[in-house]
Amino acid sequence: MPRAPLPEFSSSVRLKYVKLGYQHLVDNFVTFLSIPVMVAVGLELVRRGPQEIVGLWRALELDVIHILCSVFVIIFVATVYFMSRPRPVYLVEYACFKPPSNCRVPFSTFMEHTRLINSDEKSVQFQMRILERSGLGEETCLPPANHYIPPHPTMEASRAEAQLVIFSAIDDLIRKTGLKPKDIDILVVNCSLFSPTPSLSAMIINKYKLRSNIRSFNLSGMGCSAGLISIDLARDLLQVHPGSNALVISTEIITPNFYAGNQRAMLLPNCLFRMGAAAILLSNRRRDAGRAKYRLVHVVRTHKGADDRAYRCVYEEEDAEGHTGISLSKDLMAIAGEALKSNITTIGPLVLPMSEQLLFFLTLVARKLINPKRKPYIPDFKKAFEHLCIHAGGRAVIDELQKNLELSAEHVEASRMTLHRFGNTSSSSLWYELNYIESKGRMRRGDRVWQIGFGSGFKCNSAVWKCMRTVKTPIDGPWSECIHRYPVHIPEVVKL
Amino acid sequence: MGVNSDAAAVYGHKLSTVVPGSVSGEAVVHELADVDLVMKLHYVRTVYYFEQHETIDGLTIVDIKKPMFPWLNSYFPVTGRIRRTEAGRPLIKCNDCGVRIVEAKCCRTLEEWLRVPHSARWRPLVPDKVLGPELHFSPMVYVQFTKFKCGGTAIGYSWSHVLGDPVTGTNCINLWGRLLGGNPPPKSLLPHSARTPTGRPARQAPASATPLSVKQVEPVGDFWLVTNACKMATDSITITESRLERLQSEKLNGVPAFEMISALFWRCLASVRRGGREPRVVTICRHKPRAKRCAQLSNEQMISTVSTSAASPVDLDLAELAQLVSKQQVDETKLVEESIDGDGGKPDFVVYGANLTFVDMEGVDLSGLDIKGEKPVQVDCVIDGVGDEGAVLVFPRGADAGGGSKGGAAVLILPEDQIMKLKEVLKREFDIA
Repeated sequence: MPRAPLPEFSSSVRLKYVKLGYQHLVDNFVTFLSIPVMVAVGLELVRRGPQEIVGLWRALELDVIHILCSVFVIIFVATVYFMSRPRPVYLVEYACFKPPSNCRVPFSTFMEHTRLINSDEKSVQFQMRILERSGLGEETCLPPANHYIPPHPTMEASRAEAQLVIFSAIDDLIRKTGLKPKDIDILVVNCSLFSPTPSLSAMIINKYKLRSNIRSFNLSGMGCSAGLISIDLARDLLQVHPGSNALVISTEIITPNFYAGNQRAMLLPNCLFRMGAAAILLSNRRRDAGRAKYRLVHVVRTHKGADDRAYRCVYEEEDAEGHTGISLSKDLMAIAGEALKSNITTIGPLVLPMSEQLLFFLTLVARKLINPKRKPYIPDFKKAFEHLCIHAGGRAVIDELQKNLELSAEHVEASRMTLHRFGNTSSSSLWYELNYIESKGRMRRGDRVWQIGFGSGFKCNSAVWKCMRTVKTPIDGPWSECIHRYPVHIPEVVKL
Repeated sequence: MGVNSDAAAVYGHKLSTVVPGSVSGEAVVHELADVDLVMKLHYVRTVYYFEQHETIDGLTIVDIKKPMFPWLNSYFPVTGRIRRTEAGRPLIKCNDCGVRIVEAKCCRTLEEWLRVPHSARWRPLVPDKVLGPELHFSPMVYVQFTKFKCGGTAIGYSWSHVLGDPVTGTNCINLWGRLLGGNPPPKSLLPHSARTPTGRPARQAPASATPLSVKQVEPVGDFWLVTNACKMATDSITITESRLERLQSEKLNGVPAFEMISALFWRCLASVRRGGREPRVVTICRHKPRAKRCAQLSNEQMISTVSTSAASPVDLDLAELAQLVSKQQVDETKLVEESIDGDGGKPDFVVYGANLTFVDMEGVDLSGLDIKGEKPVQVDCVIDGVGDEGAVLVFPRGADAGGGSKGGAAVLILPEDQIMKLKEVLKREFDIA
C-alpha cells in the first residue's frame, strides 16, 4: 500500500487524536489549571487541621467594624458587577409571512412577461439565463401588481402589499404568543426600498392600536442586512429599558421596485427578489426566559462603506433612459468576501473555542515572522455553531460562502432551500431559513445559530443565538405544507 | 356607428396573467390527439353579458381572480404552452404559464351596447388573439372583463379549439363561476399524466378516400389562423317557439329541431348563392354532451357530411331537405382522424367553413355560467377561424339567449354580403326576422 501523500497528513488517525487532545486541553484550560490548585488548597487545609485555622482567624484581630466594612465592600462589588452585566435579550417567538398561492409566479410566466415587456432581445435572453441558473423554484411569489403586463406599481398597491405581508406576519405572531398589542414597548421596522409617509411603523401602530408612548423606529435604505441591524437596535434599547419587549419587523416591498429598463447590471433584482416578511418578538423580561426560543448572544456589524468600491457596489441609480434600478457591480462577490472576512475577524474571538483561536494566532505569528508563504489557517466555524443561516441573496453568494468557510452541503441547506422556495426575500430570508431548520426538527436546546446578512453599503452583519429549549416541529408557518418535499436537488441549469 | 368607433368605445385595457395555485409537476405534458390537431385552426369566442347588479359590480379584480387559482389546478393543461416534438407534432407543455386576463372599460351603457349589430358587438369584448407567431408564448385561453358605464359587466372568453370542443370549453368557464360562488373545487382532477410524449406508430397513408368535411390548407407553420378570401361577419337569428312549432308540425313530423333548422338555412343560403357556388355538400358537426363536473379536455365531436347528389338544394322542398339531413349523414369522424399524420401532426385542416357547416350547439351549456347566482342576460357565442364557406351555430332550444326561451336560435358566420341577403330570404319565405 503506498504511503499517504503529505497533504493528507492531517487525515491520518494518529494526528486526529492528537488534535482532539489538543482541543480538549486548550478549551478547558482554566478547569485543568484550577483542579490542581483546589486540590493543593484542600490538602493544605486538611493538613493544618481546624484548630490552626481558627487560631489564624483570631490572629487577624478583626472587630465588628472591620467585618461590617468588608461585608459591605463585598456586597457593593457584587451589586456593581451584576448591575453592569448586559440584560439578556430573549427571542420569544417569530413568525414569517406565508405567500398565498394567488401570488405565485412560475418560471415560464416570468419569462413570458419579460418578453412582452422588454423590447430588447439581448436583455430578455440575459434574464432567461439568470433565471435558469438562479436556484429559484416554481413557487416563489410576486405581489399582485407585478402580475400585470407591464407591472402596475402605484402607491396604493405598494401599501396593499406592505399591509398584506406585515399584518399577516404580525397576526401569526400574536396568535402564537398571545401577545397583546398594548403590551408592546418598542417597535422597529426595516424596509429598504419603500418608505411612505406616514411610515410603515406608523401603519402598524394604526392597525393594531399600539400605545401612545411606544418607542417606534423605521429603518429604510439599509439594504438586505437591515434585519440584523434592527435586532441590534432593539437589543440596545432593551438594555436601557428594563422589563420591556420589542417587536421587530423585517421586510422588503417589491411593488414599487420593478426595473423597466434594459441595463444588465440592474436586471438581477427583478429576477431574484420576492415577497416576504418576518415579525420577531424580543424581550428582556425574566418571566419570558421560560418560554423563549433563543437568547441573543452576539451581534457584530461590519461596514465597508469607507471604501469607495464597496460603497458603489450596490447602487440605486437611473439608467440612460431614465428608469430607476439597483445596479450591482461585477466586484460584488469579491467585496462580499472581504466584508465577510472582516466580520469573521471580529466575531471569531467571541465565539470560537480557545483551541481554534490559539491555532489561528500561532499560524498568524508563523506567517508574519517565519514564513509569509504559509497558508492562513481558516478557523473551523463549524465547531462554534450547530446551524448556519446565510442570507439567501442568490446562488452565487451561497456558493462563495460555502467555499470560503469550507462548509458542507448540510450547513448551507437551509439557505439553498429558502432561495428555492421563497426566492430572495431580502432581510427576512434569515428568518425563513431558521424556520426551515426548526421545521426539519434539527433545533435542539443549547444549539448555537449564526445568522449572516449582507447588504448594500457594503455591510456584513452577524448575529449569534443560543437555543434555549428544543423546538417542536411547527405545524403551521411558511414551510408547513412543503417541508416534506425538501431538501430538493437544485440542478445547475433549469431548462425553461 | 361605424365599427371603428365601437371598438374604440372599449378602452383602458390592462393585461395580467393567472396561473394554477399549485405546481403541476416536473416536465408534465398533455398530448394532443389527432382530432385535436384537426381543429387547431379554430377558436371559440363567447361573450356573457351581465346586467347591473350590486353583487357583480361590487366584485373587485382580486375577488374575480381568487377562485381562478384553484380553478386552474383542475384545468392545468389550459395554462400550458404549445411545444413540438422532434418530429414536429404539437403537444402542450404543462408549464403553468397561465391564462391571460384582460380588464377593460366601456364608455357606453350595457343597454346601448346590446343595440350594436352582432358583428361589431362581441369582437371588442373578447381578445381576438390566436396561437402564434410565437407558439411557445401564446396563451390558449383568454378572459376579458369589461365594465360598462353605469354598471353591467361583460365577460369575454376565448378558448382555443385545439384544447377541446365548445362543450369542454364552456364546462371549463362554468367551473370558475361555481368556484366564485363559493362551491368547493371538484375532487377528481385531471391526471398529471405523461412526462414525455409517447411515441406514436407511424400511420400508413390512408387507403380510403379523403374526407369531404375538411379542407386541407397551406401549411400554417407557427401562426395558427387561416386568412379568409372575403370579409366574414356574424349575426344572430332567433326563431320563435311558435314559428318553430309551426314549421315542425306543418312539414316535418319527426325531424328534430337541429336538422330542421339546418335544412332551413341550407335552403335559404343556397338560394342566396344561386348562380355562384352553391353548397351541394354541407358538414354537420355534433358535440357529445359531457358531464358538467368532468374536467376532461378533448374534442369529441362527430363530423359528418350530407350531400344533395344532383339537385340544387333550392329545388328541393324543405321537408325533403330536412329528411336528407336527418337520415343521410355520412359519418366522417374516423376518416378525418386518420388524415392526420401520426408523427408530424400534419397537414393543417380547416373544419368549420370547409363546406357550409352546421354545428349543433345543444350540449354547450352557455347558461351554466353564473356569477354568484346571477345569470347572463345575453350570450354571444362565435367561432373564429371559419373558412370561406361559412358556418351556422344552431342552438335548437334557444340555449344562447339565457332568457329561458324555448325557441331556436342560430349564429351565422358568413361572408358579409351574404348575411343581408340571407335575412331577406328568411323574412320573405319563412317569416323569420
